[in-house]
Amino acid sequence: MGNKQTIFTAQQLDAYQVGVSVKYLKPFTRLFYRYRDLAPQLVPLDYTNHPDVRLPYELIGSMPELKDNPFRQRIAEVFSEDGKGNMTLDDFLDMFSVLSEMAPRDLKAYYAFKIYDFNNDDFICKSDLEKTLNKLTRNELTEDEVRMVCEKVIDEADLDNDGRLSLEDFQHMIVRAPDFLSTFHIRI
Amino acid sequence: MTSYSNDGFFNPAYHDSETLEIDRRSSSKNQHINPYTREDPAWRFDGADTHHSPVCQPSSADAGRVALGGWQEESWRRRDSIPMGVISNPGSPSWQHELTHSTSQINPQCDQSPSVRRPSSVSGNMTMRLTGITMNRMNMFPNTDPAFIEDAVRNEMEKEEQDLIKELVTLSRRDRIRTIRELPMCFEEKKHIRSQVLAFKTSKQSHNCTCFADYFENVTLCFRRCGYSIRSARQTLELWHGIMKEISGKFGTSVLSYFVFLKWLLMFNIFSFLVNFGFITIPLLVYDPSPNIPPNVSFRGLEILTGAGYISYTVMYYGGYSNETFVGLAKYDMQLAYFFTIAIYMVLCGIALIFSMARSFMKNFVLVNPASDKAWQLLCSWDFSITNERAVRQRKNNLRVQLKESLSEQAQRELLTLSEKLKQFGVYLGSWLLSTSLAVGCGASIYYLCQYEQEQATDAANWTLLQEAQTLLVPFVVSLMNLVVPLFYSLFNKFEHYSSQRRQIYALVVRNIFLKLFILGVLCYYWMNVVAYRFTCWESMVGQALYRLVIVDFLFLMLGSFFGEFLSNLIGTRLLPHVGIPEFDVARNVLELIYAQTLAWIGIYFSPLLPAIQILKFFILFYLKKVSLTHNCQPPRRIGRAAQMQTIFIAVLFFPFFVGALSMVAYVSWRLTPSEQCGPFRGLNSTFSVVGVWMHNLHEIPGSQWVIWIYEHIIESELFYFLIALIVQAITYTFWQISQGRKALIALLRQQIVNVGKDKSFLIDKLQTLQNSDPNKKSKEKDQKMHTKQCSDEQSSGSQSNSNAMVQALLARQQFEEEDERRSADGVPVPADISTPSALMQAMLARQRAEAWDEHLYQMPDNYPSSSSTLVQAMQARQRAESQERAEYIRTAPFSENPVNRFSAVSQTDRSGDLSSSVSSVKMQVREKSAEEEDRFQWVPSPSQNPAPPGSSALIQAMLARQQAQNEFDDGY
Repeated sequence: MGNKQTIFTAQQLDAYQVGVSVKYLKPFTRLFYRYRDLAPQLVPLDYTNHPDVRLPYELIGSMPELKDNPFRQRIAEVFSEDGKGNMTLDDFLDMFSVLSEMAPRDLKAYYAFKIYDFNNDDFICKSDLEKTLNKLTRNELTEDEVRMVCEKVIDEADLDNDGRLSLEDFQHMIVRAPDFLSTFHIRI
Repeated sequence: MTSYSNDGFFNPAYHDSETLEIDRRSSSKNQHINPYTREDPAWRFDGADTHHSPVCQPSSADAGRVALGGWQEESWRRRDSIPMGVISNPGSPSWQHELTHSTSQINPQCDQSPSVRRPSSVSGNMTMRLTGITMNRMNMFPNTDPAFIEDAVRNEMEKEEQDLIKELVTLSRRDRIRTIRELPMCFEEKKHIRSQVLAFKTSKQSHNCTCFADYFENVTLCFRRCGYSIRSARQTLELWHGIMKEISGKFGTSVLSYFVFLKWLLMFNIFSFLVNFGFITIPLLVYDPSPNIPPNVSFRGLEILTGAGYISYTVMYYGGYSNETFVGLAKYDMQLAYFFTIAIYMVLCGIALIFSMARSFMKNFVLVNPASDKAWQLLCSWDFSITNERAVRQRKNNLRVQLKESLSEQAQRELLTLSEKLKQFGVYLGSWLLSTSLAVGCGASIYYLCQYEQEQATDAANWTLLQEAQTLLVPFVVSLMNLVVPLFYSLFNKFEHYSSQRRQIYALVVRNIFLKLFILGVLCYYWMNVVAYRFTCWESMVGQALYRLVIVDFLFLMLGSFFGEFLSNLIGTRLLPHVGIPEFDVARNVLELIYAQTLAWIGIYFSPLLPAIQILKFFILFYLKKVSLTHNCQPPRRIGRAAQMQTIFIAVLFFPFFVGALSMVAYVSWRLTPSEQCGPFRGLNSTFSVVGVWMHNLHEIPGSQWVIWIYEHIIESELFYFLIALIVQAITYTFWQISQGRKALIALLRQQIVNVGKDKSFLIDKLQTLQNSDPNKKSKEKDQKMHTKQCSDEQSSGSQSNSNAMVQALLARQQFEEEDERRSADGVPVPADISTPSALMQAMLARQRAEAWDEHLYQMPDNYPSSSSTLVQAMQARQRAESQERAEYIRTAPFSENPVNRFSAVSQTDRSGDLSSSVSSVKMQVREKSAEEEDRFQWVPSPSQNPAPPGSSALIQAMLARQQAQNEFDDGY
């Protein structure tokens, strides 16, 4: 307990626990230690004065929870503030709170959308789908198959017929795919 | 700053882009001769300065932007339904740089809340995002001034932030926290929002701030912290967290759902054990700790399996309980305790099941649409919880195979002929008949086996070992059937080729349910109709039978996972590699669990401590399955929809199984006579009559009249149940209607989404074709944008020098509009067109000349009688010209209003629509106008040719002047 007090001030704890997303988390000190264990020499044990520590993507991506995930780089990019995958503690907490069990569907859907949106244009277009597909199938489908699958996906999910998936389309799809809530979940 | 921008402007590649208007303007200045060149530098400096430096923005806006731009942008994006171009913008580098530059310069004093300001790097990032969104917008409106868009975006963001904060302030604390939590933005931004809201609140409350409020706040804060620490402690102590994580990491969520279900059932059993043990067993043990075992019965070891002999005299079974009322500190009526514990436990179980089922249905079956399969496979099916490299590889393989299969299936499906369909139907029918008859056969054979056993068995208290072992025959056969028959079902399943995996699984599940229901039904029938009338202490006999079933089932589960999974793993890896490593069949395993749990529910009346056995069983099973899974199995090849399956399993657990067990127990307690020699209800007609007896006794106690009243008027009255049933039916019907209405509404809304999408794509198509086919029109658009930006007239007329005739004409039109406005303000009818004044002028001159000629003619009277007619004709021509002009003026007047109207009307509907329609309206105007001019061109000369007076040069001149005007005008187009 005493340990906990020195890492964060009461206000910080309050902000973490009351104010925002971390409620969905397991006790977030555990997460803090996970974060710190990635680079004990970089992360101080005292967070009371908001140190500006940023772990590089290489460290984040090597976490056992992420290292085999085909989307690990996208996840890190989406949740990091600089968009390059380098994460502060807050980013880290953010990431695992969204990927936790309790996060609401819309929040999860929003971030999943961003993860699949490789070119950051706010739409999942054909090229994004192709990238997703290649990541998920180890580049073993022929070009024709990739094209067919992508067309089919857009055909199925694109409600407004603009040839690409907007966030609304995506959310609409998520609502009808309840498994998503349990699969878009990383246990920590 | 300006010089920097110019670098960008004069980049030739950059010049080609139509995105940056400024760049256009300044470069066009270099290429074309501009009559207004002298004014140019001034405006350029002006424009560059104002467009590029937001430094002089209002302070609050800046503060909001710096700290909140990120989330505002996010939320803005969320709501934004405007499709944004993917095209990378050539102008972006310079813009980004500049924006970053300018925003990071923001005055610190502008900042309202320095404490929450983010570090400069963050603001850079934020600016980048802001730039991104601006870029997106600019792709959407390629011809708009970026600064203008950026400002618009910023304003939008600020407004949204303010709205959000206002909205949050009005919410209650709990709602506020929830809302903030669900905002899709990063932690830092949420923290900021929260502090803003709090600051807003405290500033509001500071007027009536009291010590009490402070104190109250502190206390609630304390409680909250306490609650959080308790919750987090509970989460740390969560059972099997590590194992769950490992399983989901290696096998994915669908396999994990089995373990989650197992854990849930375990919790159920722990609860029921605690209830039963606490309210039934403990009082008995406290009052009478020594079991009344006959002296000739000793523990022989086999009892653990059979549950007979020694155990049958303990508190394990119904027979071990007494019907006395213990008088200790208070009276404890064993009969009542037994009855109410079981009853309340069953009711609680039912409620818990109904609620978890309803929640699960609500979550997982709301709008499930089986049609969107591919999209689901690609975008929703990836299991992020998988962390094992092998599993990831395998899953990728499976997904690939599945995608290929479904692609080929699509090609195949259309080729199915009628005979093939009939054949398939025959296969379905055959396998259904076969499986049902198999289940019925199993039930019948069990019934005869039970009868056989009953003939053998005696009501003796001391069985020989062999006799005792014989009792294991029925449970053995039952468990064997439960193990073997589902394998046959799986075999059938291989022959029928179901079109979808989901149907296949459902068929399998339904058949297995039938089998288990038949078996359990036959057993229950046997117990209630044969055992109940034959044995003296029949409840204990049933309890023993259930105990044996539970134990043997457990053994078979262990053997099944050993032989089934271990051996097939051996076969798959060593002997027949093409068979492969077995998959973990979630459906079959879950059904086994459901069956086991049903046994426990049925047994709760006959053997109140059966849940203890069940707990042990599930606990061991968990580890066993986990080990077997990790060593022998591979993840399921098919990625099933685990959440739906889980819902179905809970539903199945509730409907046939729990309801069946409940009705069995209810029948037993209402209808059957309890045994007279043993148990708490000895000597009563039925178990339920214990309540009647209790009520009868209550009559003597004063002050308990209301209990009796309730009993007589509610529990025993048919009218009450009748009314309740009616009300429930009415409520159900209402809800059903509501859900029907919502379904219709959902369909409507979906249709609406589709329609809106169609509209949007139509309008965008139109916009794009317009832009592509007629690039010149853009300049018009640009002019209008300039107009809205209120650039100076010189600017717009500056580009008049453009060699482009179109632009000239459009500008002329604009000028004419302005003049028009001026004129309408003055009330003086001045001809509108830029070319008309000169034409009119010339016409006037011509008329004057003609008049002069006339006068000249008058001076030489009656020389040429035709001259007067010439004059008349000249006058006529003039009049016609004038009237034409007037007509034109009248006609153009509505035009000048037209675009405004359209703009305001359309801009309310859709942004993209706005743009395209404004373009089209402009185009239409232009067309109409030119058509009109052409019209006039054909129409005007015709009257002028009619008179054709020779020698009336004045008239000819007038005509020529008119024509010249016409030509000039037409040239303009």
